[in-house]
Formats: sequence, structure tokens, C-alpha cells
Amino acid sequence: MHLTDGVSLRRFWAASAVCASLLLTAGCATMGGGQDGPVIRAKDRVAPALVHIRPVKEVFSGGKKTEMLAVGSGFIISADGYVVTNEHVAGESSSVQCVLSDHREVAAKVVGVDPDTDIAVLKLDTTDKLPWVKMGRSADLQAGQTVLALGSPHGLARSVSKGIVSVTNRYLGGDGLMESPYNDWIQTDAAINPGNSGGPLVNIKGEVVGVNARILNGAENVGFAIPVDTVRGVVEAIIRDGRVHRSWIGVTFQEMLAKTDDPSQHGVVISDVERLSPAAEAGVKPGDVLVAINGREMNARFEEDLPAVRKAVADLPVGSTAVFAVHRGEEKVDIPVKTEEKTAQKGSQAEFGEWGFTATEVTPEIARRAQLPERTGILVSGASPGGIAARAGLQEGDIVLMVDGQKATDLDAFKALYKERKESQKKLIMLFVQRGALTRFVLINATAEAPQPEEENAGHAE
Amino acid sequence: MRNKTLLNLLAAAAAFAAAAQDDFSVQALQGDYDRIIPSICQVLFTQEVTDPRTGETVRRNGNCLGLIVRADGLVMAQGHLSVENATPVDLRVRVGRGGAEKEYPAVALHKPGDINVMFVQAQSDTPLNLPHVTFTPQPLRLGEPVAILGLTGETLDFEPGVFTDRIAAIITQPRTTYCLANNLRFGCITGPVVNARGALVGVAGIDLSRAEGGELYTRSGHPLVYQAELFQKYIDKPPEREDAHKAEDNAWLGVFTQPLKDDYAEYWGIEKTGGLIVSTVVPDSPAAKAGVQAGDVIKSFDGKPQTFTQDRDVLAFTKLVRDTGTGKTVSMGLLRDGKPLTVQITLATLPRSAQEADEFEDTVLGLSVREITRDVRIALNIAEDVRGVIVRKVKSGGVAQIGKMRPGVIILALGDYPVASIADFQQAMKKLREAKPAELAVFARVGPQTGFFRLKPKW
Repeated sequence: MHLTDGVSLRRFWAASAVCASLLLTAGCATMGGGQDGPVIRAKDRVAPALVHIRPVKEVFSGGKKTEMLAVGSGFIISADGYVVTNEHVAGESSSVQCVLSDHREVAAKVVGVDPDTDIAVLKLDTTDKLPWVKMGRSADLQAGQTVLALGSPHGLARSVSKGIVSVTNRYLGGDGLMESPYNDWIQTDAAINPGNSGGPLVNIKGEVVGVNARILNGAENVGFAIPVDTVRGVVEAIIRDGRVHRSWIGVTFQEMLAKTDDPSQHGVVISDVERLSPAAEAGVKPGDVLVAINGREMNARFEEDLPAVRKAVADLPVGSTAVFAVHRGEEKVDIPVKTEEKTAQKGSQAEFGEWGFTATEVTPEIARRAQLPERTGILVSGASPGGIAARAGLQEGDIVLMVDGQKATDLDAFKALYKERKESQKKLIMLFVQRGALTRFVLINATAEAPQPEEENAGHAE
Repeated sequence: MRNKTLLNLLAAAAAFAAAAQDDFSVQALQGDYDRIIPSICQVLFTQEVTDPRTGETVRRNGNCLGLIVRADGLVMAQGHLSVENATPVDLRVRVGRGGAEKEYPAVALHKPGDINVMFVQAQSDTPLNLPHVTFTPQPLRLGEPVAILGLTGETLDFEPGVFTDRIAAIITQPRTTYCLANNLRFGCITGPVVNARGALVGVAGIDLSRAEGGELYTRSGHPLVYQAELFQKYIDKPPEREDAHKAEDNAWLGVFTQPLKDDYAEYWGIEKTGGLIVSTVVPDSPAAKAGVQAGDVIKSFDGKPQTFTQDRDVLAFTKLVRDTGTGKTVSMGLLRDGKPLTVQITLATLPRSAQEADEFEDTVLGLSVREITRDVRIALNIAEDVRGVIVRKVKSGGVAQIGKMRPGVIILALGDYPVASIADFQQAMKKLREAKPAELAVFARVGPQTGFFRLKPKW
């Protein structure tokens, strides 16, 4: 009896609370927006251009390629239908469906992606004129200023949340594999959840100031957006060239604080120089302190100053010679370094279904981690249990260096070797693989029958 | 395959055991008990266990059953006393019971490679004359009942007991192995095993030695009997003391190998008579100097033909090399691209392992560092040209920890002083202690990346 009363009582209160808030909103609206007016206006400027994105992603796991429906957010930046979202939303997808603010479903094609900044550009497949957002300036942001996050948290389209900018320039160093080397992040307490990725972070004027992309696992109200000043250049490059061309010289930078707390010492510490890289060949050494590139001063006392230095190197014209002024002990040395084009941070993947494994391209980072003398081979990303490759002893993490004594220099070379063997129905194929510090031979028996389950239970003693 | 055979035979034996239970009379068991129990003692020890990844060492106390096999205090105990990452320190042997216990300090003898037992020598100023067992080797039959003497109780108090069991399976490869039907109590490991005719035929154990592919059996978790023939030689001529057994005794070739299985032989168009495929040649090793290449197939070593076709055989080859003798020049028969080739190789000394590595603890920086031994270089895939010392421990709240250093970091330089060895590190610290800089930039490698750590030492 009491229980029933209690329940109805709580319901009653819940219902009246809703009524009260409805009344309040209606009242405010008649009073011309009041406190919430600017927020609503800002939302109204962006919401029509908001896109709910449903990509079908190609996922390589357990030695197999599978397709998986994902959900993310994005926003239209031009009347002819270019959409900005995250690389981790639209990258590696076989198709992308978009739902616009008027509930129209429109297919989109991926124009290009940039994993280094986690930006992707899509083009909607429509000739209609579409509403688009205005981009603001993230450089003008201040901590404490009101921002809105729009998008599809957990797939719930057309959601808006409000917060403030917590920090304008948060540095997020990846764990070894740098997740975002060329920008600091806008940290906000506006609620961001999975599904918000690629959605806009908007200032009170209704201008996009960032692209929401990260949350801190286990934390609350700690979200991160890519500053729009970074996004602008990347989007232009993708629309123009399909990708971003960057220069590379093969050095790693560290903030001055890693070596000294003396604020009078300016520059950037060169902490690592890759072997055979342009910098190594030009004579740059770890421990050198970079003070200028082509006369332009470089300074990174704190880690959040590092992305700007990396970007200065990346923005040098590919194949040009730049003068790096470094301090080495008491000496000042000018070192001319010829830049090379930076290769993709993320390697493409492929499935080798008949042998039951998947592999990814060996990127320079992977080659370095594996201590390969040169960039060669393919990295096994999974071997399907019971498959031909797994039974031959091929394991995730192995780097296949050779096939029947021929070098598998990259993924395309391996694909060709694999295809030849499949077509000629070659029975035995010898792989030479690197596993950790050691090498091994792995003999693929392409005709081996998969073990029959009955055999396990047959129970004949030998 | 072997495991499957084992399981089937087990099923058969279990049925058989149910049919015939009592082959030991109560009087017989009492007789065995009275005769053997005085030779059972307790081995007490402190074990130093090293975590292979962090290098952290912890000490723990333990005890296990010991079997006195010689009047002079030679005691046989379980092999797990000394394994790859754990070494016993402060060994003691406790003999007698019922208020007449006597404790002797003891030393570990070098662990035999072919059986998973340890020998421990009790120490005394006066010659010892302890009660001990004598073995009577006799083959066992399938289904044969056996009695095992051991210690009872969870806490392994010195309360002896006698337990009956049966031979559930006899495996013939890699050597004759008698499997027991029931689970083995912890206190019965290395406990004497008596057959129904009263003969002391062996001791109980839980797995084969590593050289015999022991890990495979450990996975099956199956108890066995180590028959006396396997260890009698160590009783007749006890192994050297563990601390007398230096790494210099182990010879080194410097190759990693895979067995030449038949399909591999078929691929290369060579005879299916086994051998060892060289999969990796360690740089600067005797094999590298002799021009051995990955892909060569070892067909003979020091005149002994190598006919291996099983993965576990690789360990037997390693043992063969180790026991051949440092400095000895041997001829090795190879097949390269299918053609026979003989190389002469002078074996070197097995490089020191991480456990034998030089270590140095610096109290100012609050860390200990260790030389990078060959095994660590391979385990962590550290390139040959990386010369430094590896951080093994950082003191909680110490200068190094505050400076974000952690175990596994490889120190390449302290300030302007390059560090390639422990001696370099000590030398650099000596100079730094005189100069007392307020900040110290440590150049180091973390994984594939180099970088700096800024420390503020309190000199």
C-alpha cells in the first residue's frame, strides 16, 4: 500500500517538475530570450548545418576483415555540401551515410583524410543548396568563455550541450605514437560523449571554433576539440589535393624544460634523430638545441609550445633546403637540411583471406619500433585461429620480410606475391619473418585442410 | 598428440584402479613408513624471485620436502626451488622429528639439466651420518600400485604420511615416463615412491625438465614418478655447488634455431632426416664470425648428427652446445641452399644473463642501474648500437622518480658524460658529485625514442 503511494508520489513530482520547466521556457521565450537567448541563437546558427554521420567502417580484427556500422557527427562548411568530421569517424570506411538536420538521408564520399590532425572531409551527394556554418578563430578563445558542443552523443542526433572552455591549449602527447603532433587542444567541460566525434564546438556568436574529437576515459566533463585554426588549413589542403603534404626531416623535439629550468635559454631540444633521415645526414645530433629555421626563431619552453615547432617544420616546402640554426654546447651551427615528404602515419591494411590473416603497411614508426634496418615488410595485424597462417605459426606482431626468398618490400609487393602464389596454386610457401629481436621461418601449407572437429574427439591412442 | 594419448590411457587406468584397490597390505605400508620416514627431512629456504620485465626482486620464505640420499647430508628436493627467475638463498635442512629436530645450513648444488630436481648439501663442521634412502631401480607396469611417502598438512608441518596411487600411463617419448593417476600433494613432491614389492623405485614429481619439453607437461599438470635410473648418477657423484658453477662453464654458439620438420625439408628439397634450421644469427657471436647464415640447416655438431624434427628438441641442442666446452673448436656440418658445407667454429663463453648482470645503486639519484646483457637486448629488442645502462629500480619519492624516470629506461648519458657501462655510470656520478650541478639532464632511450629527463639532485 505504502509502496504504491510512494511510487505515484514520485511520479507526480517528476511530472510537475517537467511542467514547471516547460512553463519557464515558454515564459522566457515571450520575454525575448533572456539569459538563454544568446545560447539559443548560437545553436540556431549551427544546427541546420549539423550532420549525423553513419559510416560503415572496415575493421580488421582476429585476422579477418569485417564491416561495422559506426556513428559520428559532422558539419557542412559550404553550400555545395562539403562536410568536416573526424578521420576516426569517416576514415577506413566502405560507405558513408549522412542524415541532415531536416532528416534527409544523403550519401557522402570521402574527399580525403588527415590522420595527423584527425580531420576528414566528405562531399554530400546532392545538388541542393545547403546551409553551412561560419568558422571562427580559435586563437581568440579564452578559458572561461561559453561554448556549445553539437552532435550525436551515443547516436542521439541533434543534441546540444553547453559548457565553457577549460583550457585553450592543452597538450596531449600520445603514448609514443603521437596522436596529434601538430596542434594543441581546446579542453572543454561541455558534455562530449562517443558519437560527438566530428561535431562542432561553437562559440556564443554561433561560429565554429573547434571539432570535438576526444574525451578522457573515466573522467567527467573533460573533452577535447581540435582548434578550428588547425582545421581550416587541413580542410583547404584536402579539398585541393585530397590530402595534406608535409615536410619531414626525421627529428623529435622536446621542450626546453626537459633539459633546463633556466628561462633565459631559448630554443627547442632535439631529442632524437632518426637514422638515415635528412636531419641525420645533414649532421643534426640529439641534444642540439634548435633556435631558428630559415631565420625564424623557434622556442618551446613548455610542451604545449611543441606543436607549433613541428608545424613549422611540416610547413616547409617538400624537397626544399632549410637552414636549421642550432646551439651545440657553446657553439652555434647553421645546418642546411633538405626536407622530404612525410609518409602517412597510418598504414593501410589488407586481408589475405585464403591464408587467414590480415596485415598492415610498415610505417616508419612501426619500422623504428621493430628496430628494422630499413622500412620493409608487412606487419601481421591478426591471424585467424585455425587458419592456414595461424597453423603455420604466423602470429600477430610478426613482420613478414620475405616470401620464398623474395623481399616483400611493402603491402603492394606482398599482395602481388600472394596473388601469384594463389593463382599458381603453389602448395608450400616459405615466409621469413621478424618476431621481436629474432627472425624465423614460417612455412605456409596452402593446401592444408582445416582440422575437422571430430578428430579432436576421436580418441584413438597412437 | 601425446597429451591425447595420455588422456585416453588415464581413462583406462582409472577404470582399472576402481576394480582392484588394495595391493598394499596395512603391514606393508607400515613397514615402508618405518623404514623410509627417518630419511625425509624439511628444506627451508628464502627464494629471491625476479620479475623478468621490471627487474624487481622480491624475497619470500618457503619450505618443501627433502629426501636424504647420502649419509653425508646430500638431500634431493623439488626442482622448482631454482628456476629461471628464482634462486634459493639461505637454505637450511631440518632433520628428525618429535622434539629431536636438528637444523643444518645447506648450499644448493648446480641444478641438473635433464631432471627437474635440485640437490642440496647440508653443511656441518663434523662429518654427518644421517639416515638416508637407497634406491632399487625396477621398471613399473601400467596399473601397478605404488606408495608415496611425503609430508601432510596445508602448512607442511613435519607430519609424515603414506599415500597410495597407481601408474596410470607410461609414455615412451622423449624417455620412459610413469604418470600417476591422482593429484600429487605439495608435500609429496620428491617424496619416495615404493612399489608393492617394497622396492624404492624413484621419487614423485610434477613435470619433466625443461630440456625434455617440461613446459608441455606443466600445462597438463600431471604428476609422475622420476625413476631412480634418472638421478642415481647425481647421488653417486653430486653436482658442483651452485655458486661454484660460473657462466664460463657454458659454451655459446650464438644461433637461434627451429627444428627441420618434414614439410620444411620438402620445401627446400632436402632429405627428410631432421636437423636444425638457423633462424637467427646473433651479431658478434661465434656463429656470426664463422659465417653461419639464417636459413642454414645444421646437420651435425662436433661430430654428432643432428636429426631434430620437434620444437622441444631445440632445447636439447642448446644444452649440447652449452656442455661442449668454452674455447673448443668444433666442426659443424651445414646445408646451405641444399649443398653440404662444413664450418669450424670456436665456441665462446655464454654471455652473462640479466641475473648475473652488474648492478649499481645510486643513492643521490635514487635509482639502480644494470648493464644491458645479451638476453635483455634480445628480450627487449634493443638495437646493437645502443650502448647504455638500464634502469632497474627507482626509489619511491627519489630524485629519479620525481624526474619521471622509470624502470626500463636506458640511460645513454649523464649530463655531458656518455654512459655505456656501469663503470662509466659510476665514473660520471663521481665527477658530478664533485661539480654538484643544480640540474642534471639525463639523455636516455625509452622504447624506440631518445629524449631527456631533467633531474634536480640533492647532492
